[in-house]
Amino acid sequence: MKAAGKGKQHPLLAFHSALLILFIYVPVLMIVIYSFNDSRINSNWSGFTLKWYGSLFDNRQVMEALGNSLTIAVISTVVSTVFGTMAALALRRMASRKKKGVIGLLYLPIIVPDIIMGLSLLVLFSQFQVPLGKLTVIIAHITFSISYVYVIVSSRLANMGKQLEEAASDLGASPWQTFRFVTLPSIWPGVLAGAIMAFTLSIDDFMISFFVAGPNSTTLPIYIYGLVKRGISPEINALCTLMIIVSVALIVLAQWLLNRGNGNERSSMLPF
Amino acid sequence: MNKKKWFAVVLAGMLALTALAGCSSKQETLNLYSWADNFDMDMIKQFESENNVKVNYAIFANNEELLAKLKAGGANYDLIQPSDYMVASMIKQDLLEPLDLNQIPNFQYAADRFKNPEFDPGNKYSITYTWGVTGIAYNKKYVKETPASWSDLWKEEYKGKVLLLDDNREIIGMALKKAGKSNSSQAEADIHAAADDLRKLVPSVLAFDTDNIKQKMIAEEGWIGTVWSGDAAVIAAENPDVAYVVPEEGGTIWSDNYAIPKGTKNKELAQKFINFMLDPENSAKNYESIGYSNPIVKAKEFHSKEYLDNPMINLSEDELKRTEWLIDVGKHLQLYDRLWTELKSGR
Repeated sequence: MKAAGKGKQHPLLAFHSALLILFIYVPVLMIVIYSFNDSRINSNWSGFTLKWYGSLFDNRQVMEALGNSLTIAVISTVVSTVFGTMAALALRRMASRKKKGVIGLLYLPIIVPDIIMGLSLLVLFSQFQVPLGKLTVIIAHITFSISYVYVIVSSRLANMGKQLEEAASDLGASPWQTFRFVTLPSIWPGVLAGAIMAFTLSIDDFMISFFVAGPNSTTLPIYIYGLVKRGISPEINALCTLMIIVSVALIVLAQWLLNRGNGNERSSMLPF
Repeated sequence: MNKKKWFAVVLAGMLALTALAGCSSKQETLNLYSWADNFDMDMIKQFESENNVKVNYAIFANNEELLAKLKAGGANYDLIQPSDYMVASMIKQDLLEPLDLNQIPNFQYAADRFKNPEFDPGNKYSITYTWGVTGIAYNKKYVKETPASWSDLWKEEYKGKVLLLDDNREIIGMALKKAGKSNSSQAEADIHAAADDLRKLVPSVLAFDTDNIKQKMIAEEGWIGTVWSGDAAVIAAENPDVAYVVPEEGGTIWSDNYAIPKGTKNKELAQKFINFMLDPENSAKNYESIGYSNPIVKAKEFHSKEYLDNPMINLSEDELKRTEWLIDVGKHLQLYDRLWTELKSGR
C-alpha cells in the first residue's frame, strides 16, 4: 500500500481497470468485427467482406427505420431542449415552497419505469383517439427528454450563480439582453449536453416507442427487435458501426466547440 | 423587442413541425403491419408504382405484440399478418374484417391445403401467406443415422446437443405426436403423459430457443432439434451438413396469413395488395427473395429450379399428409402452460 502515496498505482488497480474497460468495450468490438463477416449469421466467422456496408444503403426498411429514428430524435431534441431550458430558468425564480413540488414532478419521468410511461401514454392517446404514428412517438420522446434537459441545465445554472446577471441588469441590459448575452453563453455547455442527452435517449428508446408507435413510425430499435425471428443481418452490425463512428465524431466535435468557447473566443460573444 | 419575436417565431415553427410530422403526403397509403423482412421490397416498390400508392411497412416481433397493438386501438393498420392460431383468436375477439374473395381472384391459384383451413373455415377472414412444418433438423456430421421418429431426440448419444423451440404448444404437441395423439389433445391424461415423457428429454436439452436456434445449428453447438422447415432451409444454406426430416409420426404445420383489421379505411387497397402478391408470377419473385414456402401452386412455372429442388421449402405430398394444425385447446391451455413452466424450471 505504501506505493500509493508516491503516485504509483497498486498493480491490481490497473488490472481491475483493464478488466472493466474490456467488459464495456468487448461487446461493441464484437458488433464491429462481425460487420465484416461474410456469413449472414452472427456466430459464425466465414471471411472478410465489406458487402454489408454496400447493401445497407439499398435496404429500404433499414433506411426508413433510420430516417424515422433521426426525424423523431431531431424534432424531440430541439423541442425538449427549448422547453427543458425554459423550465430550468423559470424554476430558478420560483418561490422555494412551490419549487420543490414542481421539481418533484419534473424528476418523476426519470424515476417512473419506462413501461409505465409507455403504457400510460398509450392509454392517453387512445382515450383522446390520437392516431398512433410519428407524432405520438415524438410527443412521448419530448415528454421524457424534458426532464433530463431540465436536470442538466439547472445544475449548470446553480453553478453559475446570480451575480453576473445582476451585474448585467445593473449596467442597463434588458432582460432579453441579459439572457442572450450573459445567461445563455454561460449555460450553453449545459444546454448542449442536455440536447446530446435528449438525442441519445430518443435514438435509444425502445420501450416507450414500442407502445406508442403506429404505421410509418418503426424506429431503428423496433426494427432490430423485430429481426430476432429471422436472424439479425450483418447490415445491422454495419449500421451500428457507422453510428458508433458518427456518435464518437459528434462528441469530439461538441468537446472541441466547448473548449473553443471557453477560451479567448468567449469575449466575442459579449457586445460590450 | 425584435429578437424576442424572432425567438417566438422559431418556437412556434418547431411546434408546427412536430404537428406536421404526423401527416405528410396526400397520396393514398397502405399501412402494412408484419414480420421483419417478410416481403421482397422490389415487389412492394412495383405495387407502389403500379397503383400510385405508398406502402408503410411497420414491424412486430410476435403475434402477441400484434394482438396487443390491435386491441389498444388507434394504430390504423390496413393489413396484418397473424399466424394461424392468432387468426382464430382474432376472429373470436371480433377484430377482423371479412374478406371479399371476389376482389382477390388470384386466391384460386392457392393449394387446396390452404383453402378452407380449420382456423378460419371458408377463408372468411384470412388467406395464407407463407407456411412451414416443424420437423427435425440434424447435422449429418454428428447424427449418423437419419432420424425417422421424434424418439430419436431422446437418444443417449445426443445428450446436451438437443435444441427445442421455446414454445409450449409446439413442444408438448411434438411429444403428443410421438405418442400417436393429436398435437392439440384435450385429454388431460395424454397431456400429462407427454409432459412426463419430455421430462426425460430435458437433461439432454442444450437450449429452449426459438429466436437463435438457427445460429446454434449453423455453429454446430446443437446437433439435432425441432426446427421449422423454412428455418431449416436457411440453416442448410449456411451449413450444408444440416438436413431436415418430417418424422414418421408427423409434425405441426403452421402458417402466417393476410388479414384485415376491423375498421380500416383502406380495405379495397389491402385486398388489391393481397391479390397482387398472390399473382403466380409476382409470388414466385417474392418467395424466391424471402426464401419461404409459396402456397400458390400455379407459381411453379415461374420458380427457379434451385427453389423447386429445395426439399425444405417444397415439402413432399407424403410429408404434408403427416402434418396437423395446432388448434385452440380452450381451458386446457392453462395445463399446457403450467406443465411447460415446470418442465423448463426442471421440476
